Amino acid sequence: MQKLGDFKLPQFFNYPPYFTLQPVRDTREKQVQLWKELIIDYCKTQKIFVIGIEEEFPLFTNQVIERFLSHEAKETFLSALVSEGRAEWMDKGHKRCLILWHRIQEWADLIMRFVKETGLEDSVMTIEEIRSGIESRGTELHGMDRTVLTRALKLLEQKGKAAIFKGSSADDEGVKFSA
Amino acid sequence: MRRRPGIGGLQTAAAARDQYRLLGENVAKIRTDLMKEQLTTFRTQLEDFARKHKNDIRKNPAFRSQFHEMCAKIGVDPLASNKGFWAELLGIGDFYYELGVQIVDICLATRSLNGGLINLQELCTLLCQRRKAARDSVSEDDCLRAISKLKVLGSGFEVISVGKKKLVRSVPTELNKDHNEILELAQAQGYVTVEEVERRFSWPSGRATDALETLLEEGLAMIDDGHRDSKRRYWFPCVSVSASA
Repeated sequence: MQKLGDFKLPQFFNYPPYFTLQPVRDTREKQVQLWKELIIDYCKTQKIFVIGIEEEFPLFTNQVIERFLSHEAKETFLSALVSEGRAEWMDKGHKRCLILWHRIQEWADLIMRFVKETGLEDSVMTIEEIRSGIESRGTELHGMDRTVLTRALKLLEQKGKAAIFKGSSADDEGVKFSA
Repeated sequence: MRRRPGIGGLQTAAAARDQYRLLGENVAKIRTDLMKEQLTTFRTQLEDFARKHKNDIRKNPAFRSQFHEMCAKIGVDPLASNKGFWAELLGIGDFYYELGVQIVDICLATRSLNGGLINLQELCTLLCQRRKAARDSVSEDDCLRAISKLKVLGSGFEVISVGKKKLVRSVPTELNKDHNEILELAQAQGYVTVEEVERRFSWPSGRATDALETLLEEGLAMIDDGHRDSKRRYWFPCVSVSASA
């Protein structure tokens, strides 16, 4: 089994035709499905939130069988994720893609669970603390993308479960949770 | 002096016929009895054998295959019916029905990957993976037996031989001779190119392309344009090992 760091690659990754967009509909659907799962899996385990379509991305090249995805193929697979709500294009040119292996709502739920488990209700945290503080270490929130975190917090704010305070700089934006 | 036909002569002839018939009946009866006796002995022997080697038959695929061969030679089919002493004795009928269901399952699950044509070897590997819990191993011979039982359903399950390999077909696609030859050629590397097919079989250019296009549309082939020489390769998941995820 081929590996990428500590990530186990699926069988199909070593089968050359999966790197060429398939013309036949049924075959293509299966191909897209397999790639979608692989991208989500990989990003989740490696904590990757943004894929730049024009940048090097280890998943899109297989040195062993000397195959790589074309621009069109990358865009097809990512667009399929976007249409499912598991990803979002960050620009109109479709150059950068935000990968949401948890949807924003799911992130918001995770944050609330974290807050309850650590007893942080009614206390104030900075956004940086949630991402990189001691409390979140070992949870999925650790190292999470700032944009995604902010959006999840805004969602909680809309629901009246959190209040965001603007600080003097982006670093000390704070948030207060209420159970 | 000529003897004239008389009543005495006729009577003697009739008596002799009766005697013969009686004797014949006796002989036939003795033969049947003997046969019946032999059959009973045989059946008990076979039962004894089956009972004695029950575990071997169930657990050891090679032994099972030999047992089947022996049964076939003497005209007994332990799979013919799920009822009867074989099923009770060995549960062997159930075993193959179970395999059959699992084979159908695997064929359906991998259909979108291989277009409904799967290598027997790979099917067997997948089957063993799935049956890990059951722990008794399954041979290709068992797969073939289970598939032959599936034919009754008329669902188009069939085993076809392409070159040295056996492929199990679960879709009603008719493969013509051209397709078979291409599949056979593909076994060497897992793929073919149009040039290779034309060169190898000395086909005119349209013939190779046509056949490959059909295989592509049936979902049996996948194209690969990524090689350095930029020649399109047609890959066949059904003949390459471990293409299925």
